[in-house]
Amino acid sequence: MRNAWQTLFAWLDERLGLHSLYQNLLDRPEPRGNWWNTLGSASLFLFLLQVATGIFLTVYYNPSPDHAYDSIQYIMNEVAFGWLIRGIHHWGASLMVLVVFIHMLRTFVTASYKYPRELTWLVGVGLLLLTLGMGFTGYLLPWHQMAYWATTVGTQIAGSVPFVGEFILKALRGGPDLSALTLQRFFAAHIWILPALMFALIGLHLYLVIKHGESHFPDKDD
Amino acid sequence: MNPETRQKIHEKYERELQRGERFWPDSIFKDAIMALAIFILLILLATFAGVHDSPKADPSDTSYVPRPEWYFLFLFKFLALYAQIPVLGKIEWIATALIPGLALGVLTVLPFVDKSPRRYYAKRALPLGIMGILVWGMLWLTILAEYPTVASDGSRVPGILQAIAGILLPLLAYTAFAVIAYTLKERAPRAILFTGLGAGALMAGFSLLSMALYPPSHKETVEHPTGLVDQIVAGQDLYSIHCLECHGEDGSITVIQGVPGLEGKVISPINSRDVLYTVNDASMAQIIAYGRPDSGMPPFGKAYNPEGLTRAEIDYIIAFMRYSWDDRYEKPEIKPLYPPLGAYEVPSYEVHIAPIVKRYCLSCHRPGKDSNDYFMDTYENILHSGDNGDRNVLAGDETSFLLQVIQGQPILNPDGSEEIGVMPPSGTLKPEVIEVFHRWVLMGMPRTAEEAARLTWPAP
Repeated sequence: MRNAWQTLFAWLDERLGLHSLYQNLLDRPEPRGNWWNTLGSASLFLFLLQVATGIFLTVYYNPSPDHAYDSIQYIMNEVAFGWLIRGIHHWGASLMVLVVFIHMLRTFVTASYKYPRELTWLVGVGLLLLTLGMGFTGYLLPWHQMAYWATTVGTQIAGSVPFVGEFILKALRGGPDLSALTLQRFFAAHIWILPALMFALIGLHLYLVIKHGESHFPDKDD
Repeated sequence: MNPETRQKIHEKYERELQRGERFWPDSIFKDAIMALAIFILLILLATFAGVHDSPKADPSDTSYVPRPEWYFLFLFKFLALYAQIPVLGKIEWIATALIPGLALGVLTVLPFVDKSPRRYYAKRALPLGIMGILVWGMLWLTILAEYPTVASDGSRVPGILQAIAGILLPLLAYTAFAVIAYTLKERAPRAILFTGLGAGALMAGFSLLSMALYPPSHKETVEHPTGLVDQIVAGQDLYSIHCLECHGEDGSITVIQGVPGLEGKVISPINSRDVLYTVNDASMAQIIAYGRPDSGMPPFGKAYNPEGLTRAEIDYIIAFMRYSWDDRYEKPEIKPLYPPLGAYEVPSYEVHIAPIVKRYCLSCHRPGKDSNDYFMDTYENILHSGDNGDRNVLAGDETSFLLQVIQGQPILNPDGSEEIGVMPPSGTLKPEVIEVFHRWVLMGMPRTAEEAARLTWPAP
């Protein structure tokens, strides 16, 4: 007699293909790894943590010069555990940049970017740049002095590119100076555009990792 | 890459899989522990390190020194160092666009540049050396970002030392790598290793030398109020300095007295419901920033008044006004201006006098204000500045001018006219505040809390 759980599982398995998912995604052989191999999944974990805390923050955050600063003060001082969510988001951003960077270094040192994993590397560079982009756009959102002036200088630097600099500067700022438009578009980039791109590239990255398997640590024969 | 090499790579990988582990549970287990460790670390950081926000953005305060997030600091320092290179340093886009662009470009197309199938470390000395120097350089530039590029005495030496560490040595190392790889061929890895280690040591040496010779300029960490209570207190201090002269301590003044140029001006009391209920925070901030030219109120915003208030400071003043006078706001509990004196306690400048002076005296007695050059902004100035520097405050002397005028005794000239009027010009200090000044002067004006603690007030 099969019990109710087995019946339920069989029903779901028939429709969702749970067993083949398990076989293809989880029950895979891998080369012997060590703690350096956890950096990729750690990056993913940090990304998901940033998404979750970021969603909570948007509940109270208001992307306008008049209210951005005060709304964050409100999150920090009034909202229950707002300080914790903001703190995790703040420190998680720093840690994510660090972890993603070290992940890139590990891949470089073990030459894991070589055949057949060239595209995995290419997508990874894209993810590294997007992570930095998230840091840059997120830094302005609290709309405090440091954020305002750092972004003024940061966009100025982007504006010094020959020929297209002027265009980049105006596109980033939404005008000649930092304004409500800048804050609005950094917000849009930070919560919609860049995360959407990141989700897509992470999906591709993971597909490639599963397709080719994790690379092994090289020995003298490699 | 020929098919045989590819075949060999796949066969090698198959062998590695044979003697490997399972993704589930072996790898997942390590991943889960790592994720848990990260989560705990973040909670600890959020709880104990917290987030330090600077004051609200203020486009008019151009004196603010910008600092990017820490992971962009290396670029920030690199640009600062690059800018001092003669001639080349003027072409900004080389450093802002070309060099980072090239670095990123190489990083992106790396698998298509480095096409050799060799993966073992000893066979990849060149790429490892290049990356090693790059990361080592980024690390030192990040550390050096805290240190001055130009010394406080105008010397360019720190910038030169740092540029040697962060720009010149890496360039030399890369040149050496290229030459070694091209000429030595088989014996190159060892030579690259030693060149890289040598360059790395020199980079560290020059960085440390610059750090030791030119320490970071002492930055005054300006504490800015974050919680509501802090903001109200900051607002009250700012109000006392900038607004109290005309509007009075409680904002009730309707006829300005004793302010040059505005004598006898009739104004509306700013603590009234009429004002507080009809003017919202945004309009209030504008009135303070732009002033009221028709009513004689000067602009206080930093954009219109070099000595003026930043956007954040204006907000603190408004918070003070709302929570003190607006009956729709409930004032939170606020610590007293100074800790109340015990029966035998002697007050000190640091703990008692400084906050009192800031609240009640500094609005007039500060540089730039007409107060017969008697300034009360520092300990020394309270004792010695002004036309009567030798009579202001005399240790143990009841006839000190300061004590007389705050107790309603004007200082008279020989002909009977007033040399110094009673202070403050309108209203009187609370008796307990006068008592603080009294004890402080009679016991010899102790500066620090420790000095004061050694003294005892002979209670009556």
